[in-house]
Formats: sequence, structure tokens, C-alpha cells
Amino acid sequence: MKVTRNWLRQYVDFDWPAEELAERLTLLGLEVEGLHPFASEFEGIVVAEVLTRDPHPNADKLTLCRVQDGRSERQIVCGAHNFHPGDKVPLILPGATLPAVAERPPLTIKVGKIRGCESHGMLCSPQELGLPDAIEGILILRPDAQVGQSFAEYLGRADSDTTLDLEITPNRPDLNSVLGIAREIAAVTGNPLRSSTLPDDPNAAAPATLEGQAAVRLEDPDLCPRYVARILRGVRVGPSPDWLRHLLEKVGVRAINNIVDITNYVMLETGQPLHAFDLQRIDAPPDGLPTIVVRRAHPGETFTTLDGQSHALSPEMLLIADPSKGIALAGVMGGANSEIHDRTVDVLLESAWFLPTNIRRTAKALGLRTDASYRFERGVDIGLTDWASRRAAQLMIELAGGQLVAGAIDAYPRPVVPTRISLRHHKANQLLGLQLQPEEMNLYLSQLGLRSIDRKPRPVSAETAPAAAVTFQIPSWRPDLKRETDLFEEIARLHGIDKIPATPPRGAIGAHPFDMVHDQHAETRRLLASLGLHEAQGQTLISETAARLTAAEPVLLQNPLSVDMNALRPSLLPGLLDSLRHNLSRQNTDVALFEIGRVFVPGDPRPGEPRHVALALTGRRNPAFWQGDDRESAFDLHDLKGLLEEFLEQLGLRAIAYQRRDNPPPLFIECADIKLGGKVPLGQMGQLHPVLARQYDLRHRVFLAELNLDELLGRCVASRQFKTLPTYPAVRRDVALVVPDSVTHDAVLAAVRQTRAPFLEQVELFDLFRGKNIPAAHKSLAYAFTYRSADRTLTDAEVNATHDQVVKRLKQDLGAAIRE
Amino acid sequence: MPNLLSELDPLKQTALAELQSAADLPALDQAKGAWIGPHGRFTGLMKQLGALPKEARPAAGKAINAAKGELEAALLTRRSELESRAALPAEPTDFSAPGRRRAVGRLHPLTQVTEDIVRSFRKIGFVVADGPELEDDYHCFDALNTPPDHPARDTQDTFYLAQTSNATPSEAGAPLLLRTHTSSVQIRVMERQPPPIRILVPGRVYRRDNADATHNPTFHQIEGLYVDHGVTVGDLKGTVEFVFKELLGADVQIRFRPHYFSYTEPSFEIDFSSALTRKLGRTWLEIAGCGMVHPQVFENVGYDPEEWTGWAFGFGIERIAMIRYAINDIRLFYENDLRFLRQF
Repeated sequence: MKVTRNWLRQYVDFDWPAEELAERLTLLGLEVEGLHPFASEFEGIVVAEVLTRDPHPNADKLTLCRVQDGRSERQIVCGAHNFHPGDKVPLILPGATLPAVAERPPLTIKVGKIRGCESHGMLCSPQELGLPDAIEGILILRPDAQVGQSFAEYLGRADSDTTLDLEITPNRPDLNSVLGIAREIAAVTGNPLRSSTLPDDPNAAAPATLEGQAAVRLEDPDLCPRYVARILRGVRVGPSPDWLRHLLEKVGVRAINNIVDITNYVMLETGQPLHAFDLQRIDAPPDGLPTIVVRRAHPGETFTTLDGQSHALSPEMLLIADPSKGIALAGVMGGANSEIHDRTVDVLLESAWFLPTNIRRTAKALGLRTDASYRFERGVDIGLTDWASRRAAQLMIELAGGQLVAGAIDAYPRPVVPTRISLRHHKANQLLGLQLQPEEMNLYLSQLGLRSIDRKPRPVSAETAPAAAVTFQIPSWRPDLKRETDLFEEIARLHGIDKIPATPPRGAIGAHPFDMVHDQHAETRRLLASLGLHEAQGQTLISETAARLTAAEPVLLQNPLSVDMNALRPSLLPGLLDSLRHNLSRQNTDVALFEIGRVFVPGDPRPGEPRHVALALTGRRNPAFWQGDDRESAFDLHDLKGLLEEFLEQLGLRAIAYQRRDNPPPLFIECADIKLGGKVPLGQMGQLHPVLARQYDLRHRVFLAELNLDELLGRCVASRQFKTLPTYPAVRRDVALVVPDSVTHDAVLAAVRQTRAPFLEQVELFDLFRGKNIPAAHKSLAYAFTYRSADRTLTDAEVNATHDQVVKRLKQDLGAAIRE
Repeated sequence: MPNLLSELDPLKQTALAELQSAADLPALDQAKGAWIGPHGRFTGLMKQLGALPKEARPAAGKAINAAKGELEAALLTRRSELESRAALPAEPTDFSAPGRRRAVGRLHPLTQVTEDIVRSFRKIGFVVADGPELEDDYHCFDALNTPPDHPARDTQDTFYLAQTSNATPSEAGAPLLLRTHTSSVQIRVMERQPPPIRILVPGRVYRRDNADATHNPTFHQIEGLYVDHGVTVGDLKGTVEFVFKELLGADVQIRFRPHYFSYTEPSFEIDFSSALTRKLGRTWLEIAGCGMVHPQVFENVGYDPEEWTGWAFGFGIERIAMIRYAINDIRLFYENDLRFLRQF
């Protein structure tokens, strides 16, 4: 909503400069989004009267004058001689700037001494003002010029003003009008609202019909509970006067002609959209009067709005029609077939109240949003329908020279009953944290137009607080006031929220089971970051194609923005692949990322949304360095495995199995299932399939893992128990086994475990070798076995005995040859 | 044997000279062997002591030991000289050259901001709560007093799932949507827990906006809810001021402007002002919305609004992060460019 400061001042007195006005409105809840000053051409120049004119004591060519500027007398030193006491002259005040003449820079006037005499301003010549008058010396004004009047006003030019661009919250339709905003200002200042200069009723004595000139038929009073029509005859359609055109331009409305401009002006003034029809284009039934029919559109009916667009209507839409055709799309836009044109002489003026939800649906369905539909959608003041019509009629008489036909039609079959709300003053104080007196609260509410309807306020005794409730009648322009708490807000607003004392935090300690989980998530993040991975945040919405990389049946959106974002991620991996691609395309070649977030999987009764954690590695494993043979070495699957091992161990998860999949899912060229205790599935790890890597423009090998975080955290062991440090030395024995390629590390460990060898503390793989001296399809695995007793130093004989047992078992179970 | 003593001094001088002039550690070890080793000449001298008359032995022994002590000190000095020289690298190290770094990851800026917010709220007794991102109309809108025809419910503004819920007979067929705000968790928590409530809810929310510098269809909010006996607007102000001073610095100023949200009444928007906003050329910058829980919301979850009052507030985490770090494009948060992530 745009409004200007001067326009507001027509309805209520206030002295705040534009910035302060903006601040006050903002703190009242009308957020000012922009201020656009319109400078007067003659800012700081006023009409002054010359009182005396004497020679300058120190200069022959100068004169010393006393002038009256409407507020005070001033001494002015002047070089011109063409004026006399009693003349009205333009005076520029100190601080103001003379209009910039093209070839000269702007001149700011200061109080200064000229040849020893102070001069408080300057009398202006037409040349200095940039006016065409060919006079030597000071411009002499008409004798009837008003002393103190702004010079711009004297010339009939635009005065300075500021347009305020306000954000109106949807609950306050009344503020989509200059009057509504002025009403707020009146409420805070306590100054009266000059609601209008409108005569009570131009047709007060006239009958409330249009005496055989037109008729209105409401076919659906639910959608249009009130319809007011007036007729003006003999109007002259033409351009609006300057003041009206300028005003509309300042608030961003294009001036069209006087009739249309008046309907727009009154809409901005009152918030009530109006429509003017050319009466001669409204048909009458045979032997009847021109008739307005407010009805639903017929199935299949089309209508051309005045912007030339043709619309297919549905019976959900309300149409203003005459007996033969639609003439306006109710509350949204008029029709081309009945609009005002240059030769219009008779006008039917519509002022109506339409059901907001219906207008909203119609405007949305047709993609047609107008200033009128915007206001009807939010709800206009049903108490103002007739008043706005009269106001527009008055302006049409003044500005378009029409004759108002006696009477009006006001179809309002079921007048709205005003809302009543009781206010308990102590409850307001309790909620707001204030100690206001009931009288103060009542005053605030009455300033907003709420009327107390308790005939006799019961006497309030100071001892027997709380005071009794007071019931207020809510004015028709405040549909947002529905219950007591809404009155509390009004009291807080008018009192000033800044005056509510802030109280230090206090009260109950919260409790929620998720609080602990939140800490687990934070710990998980810190752990992964410390392992060298950067945290990523991916899009929840991804393409169905990407979703199908990991899920057969992704959860889909009904109304996606695009096919790139039409599915909910079933996995964090597609998002990480996007991030890898983004980085590689920007020459970040070495990337290690993790993400923690929700994924979405089909489920009954509704999809599940477990949290996952995912890792992605590509490029070099070490930060750049300038020396060393391994500095260019790239990540491999064992880096990923190592990260997972460290990560899971730190979470307190043991007995994790990594089971290679013979038929990996399409995402991977090679992958393993990660299981807890060999049974509970936790997730997967593997190498991205090269075909997909190419699709994602990933040039180097990519390693991915994803785990169900909820599952991990649900099973992790937070408690730790200290084991005494060993006192006696350990003995290490190394063995190199030559085994077929199919024998896994897990198989070796399983065989070792079978022996239940005493004193065996640790088995560590320290070398894997293929090639020279190793048969084809075989490998050499070198293990270090550590033996230790808790209560003594082991002898060689003891160690040999148990170690031989282990080696024998390996030979037996795995067909291992021992390499010497 | 007076000549033993008279020989001692010249012998010592020779030995000292040899030790001090040893060119490297092997030469030093050789000199040590020759003079004070088990077969060295000074060791030999000690063995000759027995040949002296009994009364001369103490003085001679003392003199030899003193000389030997001097030689050992000289040996130690020379050894550390030679060792230091040997330890010095052939070429001097360039200490300005970059070191060998360990890879350490960083937490996403949104995580860091969220954690800071959570930390300040936890100081004053809040706990973190959570709720689903897939919601139904009831929890996202109806229960929060959103009018049935409110534009927020539009398919233009809210993402709906292709499938509907089958949860309960009353919910069956209800459209499922991606929550548009974390406020839905208020309802979830109040439905399950009796008052008092003091929770904080960080999480992802979704709006059907095309991505641009200030919009992403996915973003994060954090929501606070406090319900208790006698909670006032003053409490809301006090808590908000505490948290924002923790978060944005002690110099921060906060103001409340009346606003409109369907689930609070009165409702406010919160602006803040600090050196940060002035740097952005603004006195006040909008940062959060809040208000006193609407009695209708309490009625919807079965709390008695005559007994309980409360406040809620919420803000966008991206917005806070953008203000704090002067980030100008929200999409940066979701691209995960390492050059971006490494800055936090």
C-alpha cells in the first residue's frame, strides 16, 4: 500500500517529518518498506511581505530590508531596487537551495554578513528561480499572495511530499486505505480523524430507490451480501485535474480519466474498490429497467475483461451481468463491453462487498490479480459500502460535472451484526507483563473506534481488584478482532511494545527425548570433521532419475517446481555426487565430504524419514605438499574403510562386518554391505560405478559410503570401562602365509579364533604381497601375532607352543603355505 | 718418583691439545682411547702409582685424577661441539616453507550457527526437540490456526506429496506435505507432553520458491516454545534479548514491531541493530518473528488457555548465517564448494 504524507495529513493532524512518520507506523505494525521523497521545486521558498526598505549603512548599491515571512520578521540585505514596502516577494530561507540553473551549481543560502549587516535569507529574482518573467530585479508577486505560503503553492505547483510504501499484514484489510492508516495515527496521537468533508448524504431526503432508472438483483447473497448502486447523468469524461493526477502518480496508479481516476482515488482513500459502468451499455429486460444481475457464471460462459483478455468462467465465479451478458468479473475486473469511454454521459457506480474466499479463488484461477481483487480477498469494510459510493458520487459531481440521480439502491438483505468482545483488564496485564489501569486500556481501544457497550460501568473498588470485564463493540473495519487476546495486542500496540519491560529468563526446565540425540548428532559431526571430511548440506529435493540410483520407489512430489526437484532424496549420495561435480567443475579436485540428514523412504501409513550419514571421497588423500613420493597418492577404498572403522569405533560400535556384494547395486562397481554383528544392516560402502562417474563428470575414482545414523546411534555404546594396563612384556611372532586370492582377512581371523590360542593378544596384518615367488591367483599375507600374559613374563617355550598351534591351524584350514 | 709428577703437566697439555683438535667423532674416540680409555696413558699412570713410596702416593694419585678430570671435561665439551656440528643439516631449513598439513574437515556454517543458537538457549533451560519433515495439513496449518483459505496452503507455496497419509481413519487420505515451518513441531510436542514446555526445534523446512540469491526451496529454521504459568510478553522480550546478545554480540539492540502470525497473538517481528547492520547500511534488520501462543492453538492441543500462557519464536538459520558472515547468496550453503566450506 502506497500513501503520501500530505494525503494522510488531510485526515489527521501530525507534525512528524517523513522519517519519524515511517518509524511510528513501523512500530505500530505497518512496516514501511520504502520512503520516496518528492521534493518541491521551490523547497524553502516562501511568500514574504516587505515591511521596510532602507539604504545599507556601508554600501551604496545595497539596501537593508525587513520582511515578514509569515512566522517572524527577518533582516535581509538586497541588491535590487525595483520593490517597495508592502510588496509581496519570494524569499528563500537559510538552509534552502536555489534551483540549479543548468550552467551553475546549486546555491545553498546561509545566514551571513554582507558589508557588516546580517542577512537572514535572500529575495529572489525570476532568473534565480528559473522563471521566464523578464523583469530586472526581484520578482514582485500578486498583492493577494498569502504571506508565509510556500512559493510552490502560490504558483500552483507541486509541494514537497513523501510517498511511503507500506507492508500491510493480511489480517488488517482496513489498512489498505489512507483513511485506515490515518485512523491509526489518530489513535496514537489522540488527534481527531477528519473522516471526510462529505455531506451526510447528498440525497438524505430522497427515497432509497433509483426511481425507475435501474434495478439490482442479487442471485447469490452469500457471495455478494451487499451491493450499492448510484447513477450520475450528464458527466463529461476527460482528464482529471492536476492534483488528482499527481496524487495518483505518486502512489503508482496510472491516471486514465476523471471517472476512473475518482473510483481509484476513493478505493485508495477508503479501501473500497468501486466500479463505474457506462449506464447506456447496460441492457434492460423487455419492458424493464437497465438491470444489474449479480450471479454465478454459467457453465462454459466466457467473458472479456477490459484488458482485452478473454476468460473461460466456471460456476464458482461471480459475475456482474445485465439481463443479456456479463459486464464485470465481480471484484476482479470490469468488462470491455461496459467500460467508461470518452463519450460516456451516464454512469452507474458500483460499490459492493464480495466474499473474500470467492474472489481469491476466482483471481487465482484466472491468474488475474488487481488492486480491487487484492482488497476484496482480504475483506473490505462492509460498513463502508454506501459511504464510499457517496464519496465517489460527490467527487464526480465536482470533477466531472454530473447530476446525481436521486436515491440509491442498497441491496443488503442481511446486515452484519457487529462483533462484541469482553475484556478482562487483569488478563491483559498478566499476558503483557504490564500494570495498566483499566481506564488506560479502555481509552486505547476507544481511540481505535471500539465502543464500550456496558451502559453503567460498575464502580471499581481499589481493594477488590480485578475489575469487572468490559464489553466492546468492534467496528466493521476490524474483522481481525475476534477474541479477547486480539484486544491485548491492540493495547500493547498503542501503549508501545518498547514500554513493556523485558524480564530475565526464568521458569521451568525443558525436557524432550530428542535433546540427547541432538548431542549425538553434534558429536558425530565433530568426529567426521576431525577425520578430515568437510560437512556438506545437500538439497532434499532431487530429480527422480537421481533418486532411482538408490531407490526403486522414491517418494515423489505432487507439485514439483521442476523435474530436477521432483523427488525426496532416498539417499544422501546423489546430493554428495552433485557436490563433488560442483567442486570438480571449479577445480577443487580433492574432495572429502560428509553429510548428515534425513532421507525419505516409502512406508505405511506414511513415508519414513530416517537420518543417514554419508561419506564421499575423491582425488588426493593428503593435503598438497612439496616433497615426498606419496604426495600425489589418491584416495582408495581402504581410506574409506579406515575412516569408517575409526568412526564406528569412536561411536563405540564393535563387531562390524563388511560383506562384499557379488552383484553390486547400479551405483557401485564394487561394494560391501556393512552389518552390525553380521546381521543388522547399517549401510553400504564402495566405489562409484565408472559409468555414473562419467555422467557426473568425475574424472577420478570416487568412494562412497552411507549408513543409517538412527540405527548407529540407537546401538552405539556410550559407556567406557577402563582395562588395567599390561605390566609384563609382549612377544611378537611374524608369519607370512601364501593363500589363494579367495581367502579373506576375515577367514584368517576366523581360523585363528578357532584355535582359542592362549596368550594371543592381537593379530595384525602388516603386509600383502603378490608377484615374485608367489604362485598365480595367490597372495602372501604377513601377520604379526602378539602374545602376552597378564601375570608373568612368557618364556620362549610357552610362546612357541601356542604359536605353533596357530600356524598349524592356518595351514590346515586355509591351505596356507608358510613363507620363510 | 718426582719425574712422574714433573712429566704429568706436559703430558696433560699434549692430551688436551689432541682432544680439542679432534676433527670428527671417530678422531675424538681415538684420542679418548689413547689417553683416558682403559689402555690410555693416564690409566697407565695410575697403575704406576704402586711403584711410589707409600707417603708419596696420595699426592700423586690426586694430581693424576685432577688431570684426568680435566681431560674428561675437555672430551665432553669437544664431543658436544662435534655432535652439534654433525646434527646440523647440510642446507639450512627454510622455515617459511609450508608445512605438511593434516586433513581436518570443518563443520558447515549452518551447523555452526545452529550450535551457537542451541548453546545459548540451553543456558536458560531449553532442550532440543524434533519432529517430522513430512507433515499433514492439520499439524502444519489447521492446528496453528491458519485460516482454511490462507495462501500459505496453496500448492503454489507448499510442496505436497503425490501420496496421501493412511495413518488413522481420520487422517486417512489427508494430503502429506513438506512442512513449511518448524512451528508444526510445537503442535507435535504439546500433543504429547503436558505443560510446562521449554523446547527448541532446529530443522529443515520447505517452500515452493525457485532458487535465487535469497531463496532456496529447502532451508533451515529454529523455533523456540515456552509454555508455563504466568508467561508474559516481558518474558518473551527478556529471553529474545538474552539469546540475541549471546549470538550477535553484547552491543546488539533489539526492537519488537507488531506483526501478524495466525498462531500467535499478539505477534511481533524482531529487528536488531548493531555494528553489523550499520555496516550493511541499515539501522534495523528484521531477524525473527514471535508472539504469545494464540489461545486457539492451546485449545487445539488440549491446554487450557485460561491457565497456561506461552510464547513462541522462530527464525531462519540461513538468514542469521548470511548476516553474521556477510554471505550474499543462499545457494552457496547447498553447493558445498570447498572454497566456501573452508572459510568457517
